[in-house]
Amino acid sequence: MFHLAGVLLSILGDKQAYLDPGSGSFLLQLLIAGLLGTALVLRTQWSKIKKLFTRKNVKEETEDEDNDEA
Amino acid sequence: MKPSGQLGASFRDPSGFLFVRDGTLYRQVNRVYAENYARLIESDLYEKLVKTRLLIPHTEVDVKPADPDLAFKILQPERVPFISYPYEWSFGQLKDAALATLSIQKRALKAGMSLKDSSAYNIQFYRGKPILVDTLSFEAYREGEPWVAYRQFCQHFLAPLALMASRDVRLGQLLRVYIDGIPLDLASKLLPNRTRWKLGLSSHIHLHARAQARYADVTVSEARRGRKMSKQALLGLIESLEATVLGLKWEPVGTEWAEYYDSTNYTEAAFDNKKELISEWLEGLQAKTVWDLGANTGVFSRQAAGRGAYTVAFDIDPAAVEQNYRRVKKDKEQNLLPLVLDLTNPSPFLGWANRERDSLAGRGPADVVLALALIHHLAISNNVPFDRLSDFLAELGKWLIVEFVPKADSQVQKLLKSREDIFIEYQREAFERILAKRYIIRKSCQIRTSERWLYLMERR
Repeated sequence: MFHLAGVLLSILGDKQAYLDPGSGSFLLQLLIAGLLGTALVLRTQWSKIKKLFTRKNVKEETEDEDNDEA
Repeated sequence: MKPSGQLGASFRDPSGFLFVRDGTLYRQVNRVYAENYARLIESDLYEKLVKTRLLIPHTEVDVKPADPDLAFKILQPERVPFISYPYEWSFGQLKDAALATLSIQKRALKAGMSLKDSSAYNIQFYRGKPILVDTLSFEAYREGEPWVAYRQFCQHFLAPLALMASRDVRLGQLLRVYIDGIPLDLASKLLPNRTRWKLGLSSHIHLHARAQARYADVTVSEARRGRKMSKQALLGLIESLEATVLGLKWEPVGTEWAEYYDSTNYTEAAFDNKKELISEWLEGLQAKTVWDLGANTGVFSRQAAGRGAYTVAFDIDPAAVEQNYRRVKKDKEQNLLPLVLDLTNPSPFLGWANRERDSLAGRGPADVVLALALIHHLAISNNVPFDRLSDFLAELGKWLIVEFVPKADSQVQKLLKSREDIFIEYQREAFERILAKRYIIRKSCQIRTSERWLYLMERR
């Protein structure tokens, strides 16, 4: 029962978006989604390949990004 | 009815609101936001963002809510000393605010949350860095959903930055007219055609504007036909926005003021003497807040900031402000805020009921106002009589350090070159007499080896 309430709450919570995302802005993201995802995979792979060849920089690049502005 | 003390800008998001009681700023978190708030705290996202100085720290306090019917918790956020607006930021400030927003969104996604808005007004400059001040901007990330704040990000950040970098830096002022960011169809029209060949701008501005026009009358669920956006794709979107923002550049050269100190007619002795006098007077005042009007790149602002006063350095020239901001960043200066401001038309009250964004005077008064090498520009270039000038300055601060530049000075002669000299009253005696109606002149001194005079005045 509590579980159900939780599910209901989270569904109601979904309706909390107070900002109008704009139909066109929403759809554009869906349309270019595949492209963006692929681009990200390619970038990640490419940086991994680069890392193999530039051993010196490995340490710098693997540092947690949370520390970059601390 | 609006709960008492609720801020004029804090009404759109039902998650909560800001209110001021007995001079202290609080944020009421409403019950509808309870789950998201818990997630923000429990996921360590709050702690990480505060640690990296990307989110304003707060403490939960036990005070009476402003609207008890809705209240879940009351927070007391650290207070930003001076609230500034995107139309007052230089290019670099707006760019850094955009990058901070994207960095926050990336960290949020890692923690299973997402920004539900990306308003530039949610970013403030605090201790020299852009920081998110809206603790209630996060929501649980829902798998498959696009970014709800994508449109807002493009309007508030990307469009003005692209226009400033690719067309003219002054177009940043459009943000003052369009309070929810620059409409993308307008940005697309104003941007040079060459920007269509750049992947980032062509998709996030030009194509985006076309998509908005194309689907204007369509409901989201209708047009989406069950399509989902993977988290990978969403991260790709954020990275693409980041790369686009990073690719936009503007260098502060070739404008009127940025090279002012190189071309001024001050002798070194006069400049040093001016600095000494200001330094000595500031020392005596022990000011907490200083507004430097016509600050240029902030030479004299730094004298105030160096004494511990929170100093806002206003200038009309975006290049001077940009140089000033770069210096703040480089030297990690924490209590100096450079801003773009046209004193002949200072920031007004704006937005809903004219109460969303404060005017310049509405954010004062400061303890001390500096008006150095400024009066002749206002009195001569803008034809402002001394009594009006005096009224305005007195509204902005209790103390005034002001420099009088006489007609004989080459800078004034330059202003009079193209026009008839109708300024009979522009004399030092008249200046003193008229300002003395509003101020008590505490100190006055001629700047060594120059015709200029410096005054320390206290408001009556």
